[in-house]
Amino acid sequence: MRQRTIVLIAVGVVLLAGSAWAHHNMTAIFDFNDRVMLSGTLTKVDWRNPHIELVVDAKNGDQMESWSLEGPPPSFFRARDINRSDIEAALGKAVTAEASRARDHSRSGLLRVITLPGGKVVSACPQNC
Amino acid sequence: MKNSYRFAIVVTLAVCTLAASVAGYGQALPTDPVERAKVVAQFFEANARRLMLFDREGKEAGVVGQRDVYNQPVFSPDLTRVAVSRIDLDKERSDLWVLDIATGRGTQITASQTREQATNPAWSPDGSQVAYVGVRGGYFGIYRKASNGEGREELLYQGGSLISLNEWSMDGRYLSYFSADLAGGNSMFALPLNATGERKPIEIARSKTQIQGGRFSPDSRFIAYASNESGKMEIYVRPFDPAAAPGSKPAAGPWQISDQGGLGMANWRRDGKELYYLAADRGIMAVPVTTSPDFEFGKPTLLFRPPADAITGVAPGTSSISRDGERVVIAIPPPQLRQLTILDRQGKVVSIVGQPGFYVQPGISPDGKRLVVMRTDPKTSNQDIWTFDIATGQGYAVTNDTHPENAPIWSPDGTQVAYASFREQYSGVYRKAWDGTGNEEQLFRYTPGAFMVLTDWSRDGKFLTFWTGVLNLIALRPEEKALDRKAIEWIREDYDVIDGRFSPDGRYMAFLSNEVTINKTDVYVRPFDPNKPETPAGPAIQVSKDGAIGMISWRQDGREMYFLTRDWEVMAVDITTTPAFQAEPPRMLFKLQGPLPGNPPQWNNVSRDGERFVFAMPVRASTPAR
Repeated sequence: MRQRTIVLIAVGVVLLAGSAWAHHNMTAIFDFNDRVMLSGTLTKVDWRNPHIELVVDAKNGDQMESWSLEGPPPSFFRARDINRSDIEAALGKAVTAEASRARDHSRSGLLRVITLPGGKVVSACPQNC
Repeated sequence: MKNSYRFAIVVTLAVCTLAASVAGYGQALPTDPVERAKVVAQFFEANARRLMLFDREGKEAGVVGQRDVYNQPVFSPDLTRVAVSRIDLDKERSDLWVLDIATGRGTQITASQTREQATNPAWSPDGSQVAYVGVRGGYFGIYRKASNGEGREELLYQGGSLISLNEWSMDGRYLSYFSADLAGGNSMFALPLNATGERKPIEIARSKTQIQGGRFSPDSRFIAYASNESGKMEIYVRPFDPAAAPGSKPAAGPWQISDQGGLGMANWRRDGKELYYLAADRGIMAVPVTTSPDFEFGKPTLLFRPPADAITGVAPGTSSISRDGERVVIAIPPPQLRQLTILDRQGKVVSIVGQPGFYVQPGISPDGKRLVVMRTDPKTSNQDIWTFDIATGQGYAVTNDTHPENAPIWSPDGTQVAYASFREQYSGVYRKAWDGTGNEEQLFRYTPGAFMVLTDWSRDGKFLTFWTGVLNLIALRPEEKALDRKAIEWIREDYDVIDGRFSPDGRYMAFLSNEVTINKTDVYVRPFDPNKPETPAGPAIQVSKDGAIGMISWRQDGREMYFLTRDWEVMAVDITTTPAFQAEPPRMLFKLQGPLPGNPPQWNNVSRDGERFVFAMPVRASTPAR
């Protein structure tokens, strides 16, 4: 099998990350070197395969922007004892999130870390890092 | 393959395969200590490698340490030690170890936490340090640490994404690494080590094709690397100018060094007079070169080929050559050579089909006369779909190209084979006649960059199933063009649903799901309504009782089902489908000597009458691989 070096890395990453669906190629869509920090309100949670989606309404100057953040699959979080209810409890509340921005510069990103209202930090790494 | 996406599908498949061999696809490690130990033991058995030394002629020169889940072995500059990455599945981490060649004694160099890793070791020129890629706190970085394990690790560079470290230049000035970026291509970098302040990587080359494995000539004026810019992987050399603008053309070259394909492992001899690489057929090659005043090179010659039964497990990340060109270390995997073997309901061997080869995922045709299988060609590394006549062993190449085809399934009438392939950014489904004649027809194209695992074709020919964590359908309406067909999400939930298999009458679908327990999948059946394929037509009924990892099959008369347990037990279940689905308690037919290679969720290896089961059984090479 070709490209064994990358394969082995990826295998290692996945093994160490637990369950992880590679639904699509993240680096094709998101720029891992272009990160955004968002502070705003969690307004939507779609907690389904092949990957979760969170929507955060964040202010940019006077304007309110709605950011869609794609995360790992739910099983990634289940394996870390983080459930849908943990995230849904933050709906309508203030959160901060770090994401790798979409290459098309739309208001979407690949979730790296989200900090919930109580201060709990939920990391999507290393899968999304 | 003319684009860089090939590696991505290979990665995915490898991940699928290995993950499945560990714990069943999509599962986390069990928390129950007994189950966990069992999974870890199976993982070890399937993946542990021996670090074998060879001289230039391929003569065995010893084994380093004990067999373990080792990868990426690299000789120290003085040839007394080997640095290697080792996966500890139980602790869910990987670390670097340095093994003394003479004694086999190992020293753990890094101390990763759970779900951290240390990989890609690269020795400093004096052997006092090892650089590596670390995942620390969720972030990739390049680190270094003393090669005796003492002291703290030092962060050299914080990467933004997946990094693969290749080498510490012989003059000590640079680390070379590459980063795969499938949107804009791949980039090869040099990280200056003598700079003060923040280290800024120098982009040596950027390509929409694969470009990786860069290693500097001893004088750091040239860099050798692997790329598929010509359409297949070859080894190239180009000048390295640290002052050149990113993306600029090299002053000369690049020069293609390999002449029959090159997978990677490009290493320079310490005196700069010879260059080595791993050829497409896994031969260890040597090329005479000079770097002064200009780069010149000669014709590649074969040094040797690794053992035949392990040859497809030999790759750039599992082997390296010493600085003096006299020793090669290869992390030899368990035997990769497999015999297509047909068993009866008692697990007794009924027949073997053809010669041993590098096969996975065999499936039996509807009439029980042929097999379909994924086959890796040991000479070209191409992965194609083949069929075999069971009675004669005659093989037929259904596909014969550089695209990596996978997940073959028989058409309902047995005249065609459908398979998935990743091409030009898209996963797609294709079909072709079982004997390879005629043209290939594309049936479906999925979301750009997304991966899929094809698993079934309904008996009426109207639907295909595939999964991505979501269980999807493809409706094969004749009036609809392939590129217009859309995936239908049959089950999309917060748990994993994989491996959809239609009942013979098309009224039910069986699948694996971890809805109840994250680290265990079971077989479920739900009603299927072809007129409402957007959602199941009724609730799920659990069929397996204590976990299943795949091999879901239905008998043609709809009276029996089959699946495989984590303990490699082949199970049968008496069922009825009329007026409603009912399942009796599962019973074991026979037990396999697992773990077997491949991805059990994809296995569709039971004959329609439920009398025959085909597996790709590991064998030692007694004859040359076909």
